[in-house]
Amino acid sequence: MAAKQSLSFALHPRASIPFDDYLADCAWSPDGTQLAIAGGEGKVALLSAASESPALVVIGEHLLGTLAIAWQPRAARFASAGQDGSVALWDAASARELKRWKPGIGAPQALQYSPSGELLAIAAGKTVSLWSPEGEKLHAFPAAASTAVALAFDKPGTDIGVALNGEIAVHRVEKSRYETRRYKWPAPCLTVNFSGNGRFLASGMADGSLHFWNRSTGKDSQMRGYDGRVQLVGWSDNSRYLASSAGNDVVLWDFSGRGPEGTRPIVLSGHTDRVDTLGWQPGGEHLLSGGRDWRLALWRPGKAREPIDVQMTDSGVTAVRWSPDGKRVAVGEKQGRVTLFELSAR
Amino acid sequence: MSVTPSRVPVTVLTGFLGSGKTTLLNRILSENHGKRIAVIENEFGEVGVDSELVIGAEEELFETNNGCICCTVRGDLIRILGQLMKRRDRFDYILIETTGMADPGPVAQTFFLDDELKNTFQLDAIVTMVDARHFEQHVGELNEPAEQVAFADLVLLNKTDLVDAAALERIESRIRGINGTAKILRTRNADAPIDQVLNVGAFDLNRALAVDQAFLEPEYPFEWGGVYQLAAGDYLLRTAGEHDHHAHDHDDHDHDHDHDHDHDHDHEHQHADLDIALLPVTAASAASLNDAIEKAVRAFAEPATVVACHGEIPDPGHYAIDLSHPGADFKVSIGKPGAYALFCEHHPGEFGLRLEGQKAIAERRFASHHHQDDIRSIGISDPRPLDPAKLNQWLDYLLKSRGQDIFRMKGVLNVKGEDRRQVFHGVHMMFDAQPERPWGSAPRVNNLVFIGRGLDRAELEAGFESAVAR
Repeated sequence: MAAKQSLSFALHPRASIPFDDYLADCAWSPDGTQLAIAGGEGKVALLSAASESPALVVIGEHLLGTLAIAWQPRAARFASAGQDGSVALWDAASARELKRWKPGIGAPQALQYSPSGELLAIAAGKTVSLWSPEGEKLHAFPAAASTAVALAFDKPGTDIGVALNGEIAVHRVEKSRYETRRYKWPAPCLTVNFSGNGRFLASGMADGSLHFWNRSTGKDSQMRGYDGRVQLVGWSDNSRYLASSAGNDVVLWDFSGRGPEGTRPIVLSGHTDRVDTLGWQPGGEHLLSGGRDWRLALWRPGKAREPIDVQMTDSGVTAVRWSPDGKRVAVGEKQGRVTLFELSAR
Repeated sequence: MSVTPSRVPVTVLTGFLGSGKTTLLNRILSENHGKRIAVIENEFGEVGVDSELVIGAEEELFETNNGCICCTVRGDLIRILGQLMKRRDRFDYILIETTGMADPGPVAQTFFLDDELKNTFQLDAIVTMVDARHFEQHVGELNEPAEQVAFADLVLLNKTDLVDAAALERIESRIRGINGTAKILRTRNADAPIDQVLNVGAFDLNRALAVDQAFLEPEYPFEWGGVYQLAAGDYLLRTAGEHDHHAHDHDDHDHDHDHDHDHDHDHEHQHADLDIALLPVTAASAASLNDAIEKAVRAFAEPATVVACHGEIPDPGHYAIDLSHPGADFKVSIGKPGAYALFCEHHPGEFGLRLEGQKAIAERRFASHHHQDDIRSIGISDPRPLDPAKLNQWLDYLLKSRGQDIFRMKGVLNVKGEDRRQVFHGVHMMFDAQPERPWGSAPRVNNLVFIGRGLDRAELEAGFESAVAR
């Protein structure tokens, strides 16, 4: 039976390493051997995730807290951004800081590499700027009316979406031609999420709704009924499901067939406190959620409404990040811990 | 399994430019109180003060999408608060300093936005610093100083050493006129005891709603009353200040003030005259002073006898005494020895007014009725149980139609069929309500307070009436 087969996967803990900070986020190296870690109190660390006994080394710091971390595709280098207003580039091989600068006025809320790794986009205050992997400034878009709180490249890397108050600005960055298209909605946009198939652009909103636009027609739809600000949004790798959360439940919208308009979402209930992180498996259909209930839930949407596996942690779960091959997961915790799980048959 | 840590208290510190916010902040940060305090300031530039943390913010407002323009919150604040929570050893306290011209509304409203914020933070109090030396000037020229006072749970009347006692009484009375429920602390160099500024619990629904009972009483035409035990003879009722005997001729000088006794007269200038009532009472006690209130109200309703500077008050009755000159005095003739009550339209301290050589045996302040500002407070106290559906209807209508004008709203409600006190607190139209402890044997009574611009008592009372269970 197909369902039985798909339900046979489970998470197996392989290593659990203490980290002397609140684990705010982490990013895998493209080869899956290392993990760059951002601390809420400011530490920047590197973990040798592939070794038999992974070792964590703190390699630097952002005063007042690390806000974002991203690994450069096809390289042994990553970038971090902090509440101190700075962005730092780090060399993973030598575990050394290569460069540090302040890209603008205000704290950089988000940074992302383009899929090719040739561009580093940074949102600092109201300005989004583009940098070379070496940290040389290439371009700055005109300042927006509000703070840029999130940004994302689409899959081909030709467009970059920026979440602002009242709109998603999508900047075309292909061949250094900079054009901007605006997807408006009168509420603060908190996330920006391009579907992998290129058809949709979604955003979680502060008004307790989820919004999506059809990118070719510009037609938009709003999905309401959330308990609060929708801060967690993510597309499944095959672009079929859009997962979201603003409370204890994970809400899934099914984009197969005619799409989710007029339908009721799939509600995944299993957490007893707020869900703080979501992660879709690359190349697969598993979804992981982590919450303040010290719980990690593995879901297989479309096959089961219940979690197919649940793991307890030592404190609130702050980040679940799948390895690029989709076989392992790094799970970060509030009280400072990173646990590496392997997804395998029971 | 889940551990819910206690909510982090937040104090919002407002005040006009130069009122002493920074002095207070530095005192709080440098004092050894054992708390880990994070400070969010309305400008960029991060400075770590010892173990404390100071983060800059750029005011970024957004409207919540519920169709109301007064429901504005601070996006920047939400991000910074989220960042502050990404620490293992959480802060004990958060202080948010607003700029001098800021409207404290959006800052306070942010904490009512959603459950996540409500569950993580507890708005403790809005503290407004007032510069005693410049308040009267500023409040006459700009909206912000009066609005900041209107939002306050605690007013620190600062730089009191730079003005005289009469001015302080006048300012305090004016603050009371705007905000009838805020606690007022007088300070010189922002030197308020820290434990009276932090952890005030003004928004804590679990604490009994502390509203000054005097404020919930009906408005009287007087703000102060005192009782004296007087022997027969002449007494001098006089104001502070030396009379300049050479400036004018006392016999027939023209008074250039009018005798308009409505309460809209302009208090930017020295009060022209003051309404008083002198009444015989049964005893020089607090009880007989209270008993005399009704008599005083009737006396104030009678036309006043105008008494010029150095004039005479021959008998008990209602008088309008001329205070346009410093050092004014009035001869009070007491024929029959006994207890007498004196009621004054404004607090006598505003003029340094005293019955020379006599001390009031009992005295009492009444709610301020300085209504020269268009922002005022209205209290409703009524024991009749309310119908929950009608109550919702009324509050819903009120907030939709007047939410922008109502800065603060709070109350303890006696709802029909509910054994517990219903308590609510709001900033504009964002509010929090919940049942609190049971009434038990305590008398069930509704106490509501509204602070806002252009509020109409009759309209609010009619609304309340519509919510009474029939």
